[in-house]
Amino acid sequence: MPWDVIIFYILATVCILAAGGVVISNNPVHAGVFVVLCFFNVAAIFVMLGAEFLAAVQVIVYTGAILVLVLFVLMLVDPDDLPEFHAARPVQRTVGLLLGAILLLEVGAAILNRTVIGQQGNATPENVAAVGGNVQGVGRVLYTNYVLAFEVVSLVLLVGIIGAIVLALPERLGAQPDQRQGTISLGHPRGTDAAIAAGPLGETPMPPASPREPRSVPTLDPQRELIMVRDPDEYTTIGRR
Amino acid sequence: MIEAASQPLWLTFIVAFILMNVLLVGMAYMTYFERKVMAAMQDRMGPTRTGPKGLLQPLADGIKLLGKEDLIPASADKIVFYFAPLIVFVTAIVRVAVIPFGGTIELFGREINLFVTDLNVGALFLLAFGSLGVYGIILGAYASANRYSLLGGLRAAAQVVSYEIVLGLSLVGVFLLSGSLSIRDILLQQQVDLQIGPLTLPNWFILSQPLAFVIFLIAGVAETNRAPFDLPEAETELVSGFHTEYSAFRFSFYFLGEYINMIIVSLFAATLFLGGVDGPGSDRYWGMGVIWLLVKVIFFLFFYVWLRTTLPRFRYDQLMGIAWKVLLPLALINIVVTAFIRLVGNGQL
Repeated sequence: MPWDVIIFYILATVCILAAGGVVISNNPVHAGVFVVLCFFNVAAIFVMLGAEFLAAVQVIVYTGAILVLVLFVLMLVDPDDLPEFHAARPVQRTVGLLLGAILLLEVGAAILNRTVIGQQGNATPENVAAVGGNVQGVGRVLYTNYVLAFEVVSLVLLVGIIGAIVLALPERLGAQPDQRQGTISLGHPRGTDAAIAAGPLGETPMPPASPREPRSVPTLDPQRELIMVRDPDEYTTIGRR
Repeated sequence: MIEAASQPLWLTFIVAFILMNVLLVGMAYMTYFERKVMAAMQDRMGPTRTGPKGLLQPLADGIKLLGKEDLIPASADKIVFYFAPLIVFVTAIVRVAVIPFGGTIELFGREINLFVTDLNVGALFLLAFGSLGVYGIILGAYASANRYSLLGGLRAAAQVVSYEIVLGLSLVGVFLLSGSLSIRDILLQQQVDLQIGPLTLPNWFILSQPLAFVIFLIAGVAETNRAPFDLPEAETELVSGFHTEYSAFRFSFYFLGEYINMIIVSLFAATLFLGGVDGPGSDRYWGMGVIWLLVKVIFFLFFYVWLRTTLPRFRYDQLMGIAWKVLLPLALINIVVTAFIRLVGNGQL
């Protein structure tokens, strides 16, 4: 067997096992680490296909930035708040497994029947070298044929960023439940607070438009009496035996 | 990609092994260099007792760290705790594979390349493994089961991700001028001459891209979590931040990984902006080229230590504000101006 086939099978196996680990692991951070492993192997497969630029971009953008932020969120989530596979009712579990098996069969059938295994597209090594390399090739196609899609994607990302900033404004995420405005619970019992008049989805109401009050300065605690268990002289042995 | 001599695989392994060992020894003596230079700037002596002039201090530090008790918090996530420092260390060392220490030389009757590999996306390889290094920080912070470590780790990760963007964008100017992402290509393009009026200077990109150089240096210092951007690991802020719970050799992996990152960023800056192995006499003797590269790297490492000794650290919101509100717009302006000038120069506008 030639070396590249062996290496491909190793990479593919690790990738699939990591993807399985994502689904199986109990801890969300472990699942995130398995996703990183899977994407890293996908980048290695890209390198084997001769798409080094795509591999580097996959690692830099997807693994190095997006998954870092996903891991941020996963680290701050209490694992007890997440739904568990084994806590589902038997009907749900059976239907879930059945749907998963159907999906697997469909994808397998699609791969085996309708792909062009063994044929080459028009990005052959000669064509790529003629344009001057991978980066040049991707750049030429991206900024001429697909420039509209490129601009639309950048607009979508901008909308996402603005939405995230608006959702995280301090007025919305108050420390106490009765200070939150306009938030929606995730349907979890701990997400709602019975003390607030909540809407049908657990929303907390937006306040009427009013000018913001100035934040009050917290008052300091008065002097508290210091109670010590042992006499301070008992804490040191310097000069004593 | 420039044509490199195709050499047998075992020869590439030998070159890689030698480079890796040189890097590791350099990292160990970087600790000594930092202590001595910091001491000199603070009007004291630094290590003087272990060996002549304290030169065996890194050895003593290594032995001490290997002998310390390896404490693992009881509620720590053991597997992640074991692997997190390794990620930082390994992703830092791997980056030396794309840095050229010269061209192709004749030695012992064979043609040997003075670099491990010449990827045609070499600069992106460096950035990619730099962004993988951040996982060592956040996973280590998470696995410590210590909320202050977690805070420090998240801060460090946010900082590294932000400055990584600035780093990449500052390099786009260099890529525009050189037309290639391969580091060896960029190196070879800096070895031609540039006519500026009556002067004939080498075409080092620090002359054509001064703003990008400054932005790259600042972002490079922030990427490696060094002062003045070291709030995530500052001793006075969060005990030791993300590596609080690590002791003995695990801590040294973080510590040494940071130093290797410093060396790699210095090598990167020297190769991309200061011409790397270019210098008087380097086209005749390959040894002179390596010496010139060493001089430039030591200059950047001195700059790192100088910053640490003199500047107070930034507060976290100031740090993030600098990245997003100052350096990012400047890098984008640099790209636009460079592209404009290149198009005008090529007559394509």
